[in-house]
Amino acid sequence: MAGRGRGRGSGISLTHEQIQALGIARGDNTPAILTPPPLFPKLDVKPLPLNCDAATDYMVIVKDQFIEYLHESPAYVKANTRNDGIERYSDKYKLLALDAKKGNILDCVWANIPPELRPNAGRSRVSVKKRKLDDPKEIAKRLQTLEKKEIQDTSTEDMETNEDEVKKETEENDEELEDEHEQEEEIDDGTDYANNYFDNGEDYEDEDDNLDDGPVY
Amino acid sequence: MSRQLGRVVSQILNRYFGEIVEKVGNDLFMYGSKPMGMIIKSTGLPRTQVIESLRTLLKFDLATFEAKDVIVDYKLLPDNILLLIRYPRYLLQMKTKYGSEAEMLVEELLQQASCTATVLIVSVMNKYKDDKEKNLNIVKLKDTFISLATAGYIQQAPVAESNSEIPILVPVATIVPDLDVRELINAMNTNLNNVSDNIYWKVNYDRFHLDFRDEVMIKAVTRRIDDNAGELLKLMLEQMYLSSSSWASDSSPVPLTDLKDGCQRISDNMKNHVEQYLRVIEESTAFIRRTGDAGGGQYSVRIQHALIQLVEALCDHTVTERLGGKAARIFRLIRSKKYIEEDDIQKNAMLPNKECKELTYKLLEEHFISVQPMRKAASAGGMAKAIYLYHVKLHDVAHVIRDMCYRSLHNVMSVSRHTRVLNARLLDKKRRVRTIVHGMRLRGEPQQNIDDVRYIFCIYILRGAWTVEVLDTLTPPEVTSSAEAERRLNTLAASELHLDRELFILTSYFTYQR
Repeated sequence: MAGRGRGRGSGISLTHEQIQALGIARGDNTPAILTPPPLFPKLDVKPLPLNCDAATDYMVIVKDQFIEYLHESPAYVKANTRNDGIERYSDKYKLLALDAKKGNILDCVWANIPPELRPNAGRSRVSVKKRKLDDPKEIAKRLQTLEKKEIQDTSTEDMETNEDEVKKETEENDEELEDEHEQEEEIDDGTDYANNYFDNGEDYEDEDDNLDDGPVY
Repeated sequence: MSRQLGRVVSQILNRYFGEIVEKVGNDLFMYGSKPMGMIIKSTGLPRTQVIESLRTLLKFDLATFEAKDVIVDYKLLPDNILLLIRYPRYLLQMKTKYGSEAEMLVEELLQQASCTATVLIVSVMNKYKDDKEKNLNIVKLKDTFISLATAGYIQQAPVAESNSEIPILVPVATIVPDLDVRELINAMNTNLNNVSDNIYWKVNYDRFHLDFRDEVMIKAVTRRIDDNAGELLKLMLEQMYLSSSSWASDSSPVPLTDLKDGCQRISDNMKNHVEQYLRVIEESTAFIRRTGDAGGGQYSVRIQHALIQLVEALCDHTVTERLGGKAARIFRLIRSKKYIEEDDIQKNAMLPNKECKELTYKLLEEHFISVQPMRKAASAGGMAKAIYLYHVKLHDVAHVIRDMCYRSLHNVMSVSRHTRVLNARLLDKKRRVRTIVHGMRLRGEPQQNIDDVRYIFCIYILRGAWTVEVLDTLTPPEVTSSAEAERRLNTLAASELHLDRELFILTSYFTYQR
């Protein structure tokens, strides 16, 4: 029996008889020279003709109109400027057309869109950060705690336990502060060290931040 | 989520929204969902452009977002992007069913993606104000809007829940509004920004798809039997909307007497033959089924089954066109026998041995049929070791055909893109001429002015009015080549629409398979 002793993977390899039973004769499968398949293979059958009736024509027209509308609207995002270094007479007009379009912002329902995509996203973020020091009462309170700390530090003969107590006190104060700020900021341990000064680089190259201020001449 | 789908989606985004949105969309498609910072990083685009692209995607409902703490993840909706191709069909449906007012409203709504009723009606009104032919009036528009909302073709857009910084969109039930004509007229005369209307509307694609599904089924029955059968099925589908949910796989049974009553409205002659027609439909297409005998017989529409039948027909057709009639015969044979051995295929298909085998393997190679090896337990000899059963997995075949559709859609779109790039200058010129002529016609300038100057393409000012050389701006060779290009583009656009029809049948089949 051919193929008997060829290991257990006999499910894949076929015996000679089986190959013959499949209709492949001895000379049939001589390997041809391997070439990649043609890029545009010839069609065996010509495809059916498209039947274009009035409805299809109508739909084609409507489609073109819709696409044209989108291309004119701010939904079609264009690259800023494509300059190949050759000055052309038409550049002036193209720039004019671009400027006219530049002020347009896509008309969205801003409430339904994440804040980072809203037009004044950058500004609102800054104001949130600043709000902490806006209230004069808060500043006074903070100053008081700091003052106390300083006094403790300067009075060198104080016992460690005493210091600890004060520390606890300040911590309590801080906790109060924290509670008040919890809505405004996610992470706040009461001191300025907790503020996130880390710049993740998102604002880098953010040249169009003042979109609605109009072009600068 | 196949690779072909990704290619199509990126082509569509390119055609509709430009290269930058395409890049962003492609990035989102590849990585599932990701936050904006990551998109900026991986695409290398400036932040503002990514923001603009995301706005576009979100506005047209082509992407969604999900908040994770402070980070917002964006996710592409490829299915909705495919729907962009279907927009013309929605408009056609509106025009044929509700007239041109409805078409205008839906067109405006599709362009705006979502907007309030007042803004919608007023902007349609303003757009066609000067058009005497359309003869619009605001009361009529308002009535059309309300009837569209009642029929469910438009629905209220999801509303943002505002208990956190990042909104969560919650779908709301549509309440048909009560619009005041006087307020609309007021809004038309004053600034639109002052309008306090804050209910946003959008197009309900699902409702349109129901219409298309019914249309396909009715058309199939009409072709197979005759117009009356089509009418009868239409009647049954109407009954179905009354009693069962519209995407149910089987409608709840309708008694024969109800159908007879309905048929009387169509024609007297129909009434006498209802039972025969029902029988014929049941036997020849299996779109309906007799489910009970009470009340002279109860009939229900088998939507799911009907879609299976339609997809089978689609498969047959595809095989015929790809591999020829003989392969289609083998394919049908295998499907009707469920599981069949290779020798039996040869016997039953009545084809020469070698040809039959070749075709079978070709079918297998193109994934139209599958093979199931069955091992015989204790057999002697290598010959009878295993038998191979050929069968058709309709679900898989539908997937294969859908991928083919995606692929050809991609091909069609890229060819048309290429044609457009090649002829960009000509087409641009032609369009410019057309808009200028249109403008001149609107301003009522004499015909002589329009085709006065010849052989030069220029725009010059003559006594304060723009006078344009129009007729011969394109030289004769340019005219022929631009006509050729336009003809090609139109054919390609038409084939896009046809492919979309096929995709529609396949997707609705898949919705029932889930």
